[in-house]
Amino acid sequence: MIGKILGADFLKIKRKGFWLLTFLGPFGVVALQMVNYGIRKDYLLKQSNDDWGYYLVNVSAFTPLALVLGIAILTSFISSVENETNAWKQLLALPVSKMSVYLSKFTVLAILLLISSVLLMVLTLVYGIFLDLGEEIPFIDLLKYSFYPYFAALPILALQLWLATVSQNQGIPITAGILGTIFTYSAHYLPDWMIWKWPTLRNEWNEPFFNVLLGIGVGILLYIAGMIDFTRRDVK
Amino acid sequence: MEYVLQTKNLTKRFGRENAVVGLDMKIPRGEVYGFLGPNGAGKTTTIRMLLGLMKPTYGTIHIFNKDLKKEKIDILRKVGSLVENPSYYPHLTAYENLEALRKILGVPKARIHDVLEIVRLTDVANKKVKGFSLGMKQRLGIAAALLHHPDLLILDEPTNGLDPSGIIEIRNLIKRLPSEFGMTVLISSHLLSEIDQIATTVGILSKGKMIFQDSIEAMRRQAQQRIIFKVSDSDHAWRALLSKGIKAEYKDGVIYLSERSNEKVAHAVSTLVHEGFSIYRVEEEKRSLEDVFLQMTMEEKIE
Repeated sequence: MIGKILGADFLKIKRKGFWLLTFLGPFGVVALQMVNYGIRKDYLLKQSNDDWGYYLVNVSAFTPLALVLGIAILTSFISSVENETNAWKQLLALPVSKMSVYLSKFTVLAILLLISSVLLMVLTLVYGIFLDLGEEIPFIDLLKYSFYPYFAALPILALQLWLATVSQNQGIPITAGILGTIFTYSAHYLPDWMIWKWPTLRNEWNEPFFNVLLGIGVGILLYIAGMIDFTRRDVK
Repeated sequence: MEYVLQTKNLTKRFGRENAVVGLDMKIPRGEVYGFLGPNGAGKTTTIRMLLGLMKPTYGTIHIFNKDLKKEKIDILRKVGSLVENPSYYPHLTAYENLEALRKILGVPKARIHDVLEIVRLTDVANKKVKGFSLGMKQRLGIAAALLHHPDLLILDEPTNGLDPSGIIEIRNLIKRLPSEFGMTVLISSHLLSEIDQIATTVGILSKGKMIFQDSIEAMRRQAQQRIIFKVSDSDHAWRALLSKGIKAEYKDGVIYLSERSNEKVAHAVSTLVHEGFSIYRVEEEKRSLEDVFLQMTMEEKIE
């Protein structure tokens, strides 16, 4: 059943800018480094002996911001598809369970964000090679910097999706999204338990993998909580 | 009688406000059930509960003899619906809109063309719904409701906001459904004239309560009828009728006869002719169902 709903959901996001945004996020992050390295490449290469490592750190400085902002926009887009003409009532009067409808929306966004992460990895790699940063490409670090933030951001995705689907007033999820972006921006000052800090991969043990584990664990919990609340509500 | 849909003591409360109270609704198979009530009577709330979009505060709903609470998905496989304003995805074409639903319903693709044909939208199948008129959107909604050959079709105010030709078109479409496709139809409206022309069974809701539920004929029977005479010198004609022992009323130059049997009318006519009055018109005055409906909902208000 979930496969059918997913198929329908991917059809519904046509011509709505979802795919453009999926591309724009990672492209924007790498494009910032294109500007950065384009203007002062010589200076930047002098900052460290590990040119690839330094480049990856530079790229990843903007990944969490793009991710958190992207989640806020995508979740509000996907709920607007159904909210626009209140198609929830039509969708949920079909022989489908509310749980699978919610799961499908989450899955669509999780897939789009995963594609973004893959694109981020590819674009980072391509521009890195273009910059001629050295023969030894640190693939492991490249993978970490491209995919760790994705998993660490799953709780934010679960939270924003819930807010966007159950709010009558779309100002609420948008406000939450903006606040979240500000939190991520100032992650340095946040305590470790704040989910908006997790995509930056920083924690007091200096072990980014904790953020991945936390992201998946708490992401699942928040997802389930959101889904249960969605199924219990009367349809708008 | 076999009921497609049956509710028992169906009640919905929003906070302290009772939206629907103790509804016992019965829809026989193959009927067009007209669900009538003024705006705000609780029709849409009831329909939302019938579709599982809202949970009843208490009471039960059985559709196809299955409990909606336990077998919702099974039931909805055979129910098509259009609730309130039509829902659609404006950025998609008519075809894509139906395709998004078809994927979930799992019917063959050819069915999309069938239903577009039924509601006569084939020509605009590949146009974005954004640019459709309200009538076209409404028809698209009906096409969506028909997509999976439902046994029960639930239409909430399907002619709302349509122009007269659109109303007639949808009315003709709905009339065809029970005979051609063996569907049972539940159609709600706040306009009696609408229901009067389509429905075979009527349920009237007022302030969340069912105040009448029977065949449309039974409702028509409640509409008392009189015979109207328009004659020359009607004041004297009326006195002449009274003097011959024929019960009649006189008002504003028109004579009303409360006896409606053929013999009595013939007797009155011959009396008037013999007395030398010219008869201009003999008409049957039907008190419209509108009046009956108004009277019923008014009584409810006074109580």
